[in-house]
Amino acid sequence: MTILEVEHLKKIYTTRFGGAQVQALTDVSFSVEQGEYVAIMGESGSGKTTLLNILAALDKPTSGQVRLRGRSILDISEKDISAFRRDNLGFVFQDYNLLDTFSIQDNVLLPLVLAGKSFDEMNRRLQPIAKKLGINKILKKFPYEVSGGEKQRAAVARALITGPQLLLADEPTGSLDSRNADSLLKLFGEINAEGQTILMVTHSVKAASHASRVLFIRDGQVFHQLYRGNLTNEELFQKISDTLTLIATGGEASA
Amino acid sequence: MRKAAFYPKIALTNIKNNRKFYIPYLLTCMASVATMYIMLFINSNEGLKNMLGGDYIQVFMALGCIIVGIFATIVLFYTNSFLMKRRKKELGLYNILGMEKRHIAIVLFFETIFTGLATIVLGLITGILLSKLSFAMLFRLLKFPVPFGFNISFSSMGIIAVLFAAIFLLILMSNLFQIRLNNPIQLLQGGNVGQREPKSKILLAIVGVLALGGGYAIAILTKSPLAAIPLFFLAVILVIIGTYCLFTAGSIVLLKALRKNTRYYYKTKHFTSVSGMIYRMKQNAAGLSNICILSTMVLVMVSTTVSLYIGIEDIIATSYPYDVSVWGNNQSDEQISEILGTIENVASQKGIEVKTMVSYTELDLAAERQGDIFLPKLDRSNGISGLSLILFVTQNGYYQLTGQEANLESPSDILIYSSDIPVGDEITVLDFDFNVVQHLDTLPFGDGYSAWQVDSHYIVVYDMEVLNSLYKKQTEVYETSYMPETHIQFDISGTKEEKKAFADTLREALAVTETVTENGETYTATYYHIYVESRQAGEDEFYILYGGFLFLGIFLGLLFMLATIMIIYYKQITEGYEDKERFSIMQKVGMSRQEVKSSIKSQVLTVFFLPLITAGVHVCFAFPIITKLLATLQLTNVSLYTLCAVGTFAIFALCYAAIYALTAKAYYKIVRHY
Repeated sequence: MTILEVEHLKKIYTTRFGGAQVQALTDVSFSVEQGEYVAIMGESGSGKTTLLNILAALDKPTSGQVRLRGRSILDISEKDISAFRRDNLGFVFQDYNLLDTFSIQDNVLLPLVLAGKSFDEMNRRLQPIAKKLGINKILKKFPYEVSGGEKQRAAVARALITGPQLLLADEPTGSLDSRNADSLLKLFGEINAEGQTILMVTHSVKAASHASRVLFIRDGQVFHQLYRGNLTNEELFQKISDTLTLIATGGEASA
Repeated sequence: MRKAAFYPKIALTNIKNNRKFYIPYLLTCMASVATMYIMLFINSNEGLKNMLGGDYIQVFMALGCIIVGIFATIVLFYTNSFLMKRRKKELGLYNILGMEKRHIAIVLFFETIFTGLATIVLGLITGILLSKLSFAMLFRLLKFPVPFGFNISFSSMGIIAVLFAAIFLLILMSNLFQIRLNNPIQLLQGGNVGQREPKSKILLAIVGVLALGGGYAIAILTKSPLAAIPLFFLAVILVIIGTYCLFTAGSIVLLKALRKNTRYYYKTKHFTSVSGMIYRMKQNAAGLSNICILSTMVLVMVSTTVSLYIGIEDIIATSYPYDVSVWGNNQSDEQISEILGTIENVASQKGIEVKTMVSYTELDLAAERQGDIFLPKLDRSNGISGLSLILFVTQNGYYQLTGQEANLESPSDILIYSSDIPVGDEITVLDFDFNVVQHLDTLPFGDGYSAWQVDSHYIVVYDMEVLNSLYKKQTEVYETSYMPETHIQFDISGTKEEKKAFADTLREALAVTETVTENGETYTATYYHIYVESRQAGEDEFYILYGGFLFLGIFLGLLFMLATIMIIYYKQITEGYEDKERFSIMQKVGMSRQEVKSSIKSQVLTVFFLPLITAGVHVCFAFPIITKLLATLQLTNVSLYTLCAVGTFAIFALCYAAIYALTAKAYYKIVRHY
């Protein structure tokens, strides 16, 4: 079943005084199936972040359409957008975006608190997730007291606790050392295996090689895509590397 | 870098780029300089020196100068710390880009020179421009004729320049010291050092509760106004300590308790604000307690001085029921008629008409009360506590004072008014048994004891014979005693100046000049056994004294209020920058803009109005002791003070709300995500 449909997205930024126009997205179309694990790759300035912001309903496209389970997220009113985001989307950011003012537990619970759930229900949902992500020992600690890997796992817990349709990850391994990055990617693989749909933006080949499909964006367009098929992570890694070399040397490929 | 103008240029650019932070800082410096100039200017004014009572004013102004000086130092250091905290990143960047700390020091030096020079010069100009205006205002309050002319006090300018240069030098040194201590990376991170959650400080909270409770208890329980003066300062210090401790520790303990309550805490409304407040409380506590204490000071200062000034008419009316009062100790009938003759002579000499005149004799007695028995109090060790004061007048005097007949039939009959605890129908005073014919409901005459706030009784006795035997008995038991005082009071015709002149002439006419030979030298001495007081002269004195108080109260009140505004402004701006990221994260996680707004609102509102409410509570608790202090200054009109206090609070709260609205706007602007 198709969970996310993106059609002809276009985004033009106009500088404040109406001078220069910057085209961040030219024409992006793709779709994501239920249970898929998609990585979007591209260099800095390729429009990855703009795309993610639009998918997250944090930004509006100049034209085009985004549908989550057939419902257009662009038509959701300002009033309901936060609730929509909270209930349907989970976010993992490069710099964790944990709040220093909250303990790890409260950071994880934040979306549920915003959703107005009872504390009993919060607790019921928290326990299995905390255990799965291995953060049950640090729940009472504060973000500044734990390591980067633990912070990112807490952020994943926060993203998953609402049971989102789609997990959006923006360079989730970007701030982690290789050991922590590996363990996070392994975790993503496990979550995905349990049926969680994941969309990850990255320029780490290593991170992308864990995905089931890799989209390449260049100059605001989907330039190419790779399916894992039966490839192992290492083989996919190699294929991604080759594609990136191709892009870098200016070759043409079909989307 | 060889060019000499390089560092000054950088310094100027820095100030310009940080103007959002610098302007309030500069304004405060300027206001302090200007205020100080005005006070020094008045203090050193030649004209005032020669005026009657001018020396009071000069003492007030000197006092004001000291307060402003201390205040300016504290506030400037405080705001400078805000500035430096924000600027550490910038300075760290300079360091990394290759400026040595020595060079940064030069830049900071120039910045200090520029800001110091600008504020001192502009402050002095403002001060000079406003000095005439405030001088006129002061004179109006004092009811002096406003003098013409405009002058500048160069000596005051010199003093201020030196003083503020010293303050700026100190600030510069502390800044340099901070930079020396930090390496560039620390400087770069200076703006957002990861703050640890404050630990609950139970001990500190307990100290706070005790100090505040102690201060409040003193304020409420102090009965004697004379004891109130030293105790008041003790109470003030305790309350200040209590406020600091409670804001630092109490609030954290309270908030943590709230956080433990999961039902309360895990609600959208409370979740972010409670955690945010816990997180910030440590850095907030100092700022909030400063705001609270400054607010309390403003409220107390302005309300008391205003009520004293407004109450002058009242005070005059009770202290001086007639235009002229003449009194002397133990005057015989012949002496009294001599005084009356002198009064008549002086009056006819001056062409002044003596109107209503009363004369009476009163006797004071201090005794220890045991039920309805008043015994001599021979143990003086514990001052006036446990003392009852009794004022006797004869029924003839009572008639003179009140126009009412006492109708006492025998020497043992009395009328009595008791201030606190009423007596029974039969009382004994120093072996004399009296039979109370009537208990008076209202104070029949005089106001002599109200300021003492001790158990006091006003007794009307049969005649002079009773009074004299009481006096004799008193002399016997105490060895020394109060003498019966004869009072002659009357109204006269004429203008204010004529009345004052009359009193002065009468005083001289009643004085006795004697030739004294002492150690072989002979000289004449003038003795004023008979006291003469004029209501008009008293009025002048009260206006000078309380007008001076009011002037100082308003001036310092305005300055403190400015400081309050500025602390609030800095708090909001710095917090805005800190919160910007937090709120953007929360929006990403799914908090709606509406929720962000209401969460900010509840947090800012709490933080803002907590000090105001606490200040209000402080003022309420201070109420009993302040009314007693005012009583020592002869203002007994409690409802007037209440009115002034409520009025001051209302006006202050309005200003406060306006500041809140303005700074909250600045805050939203910074925090707003899109």
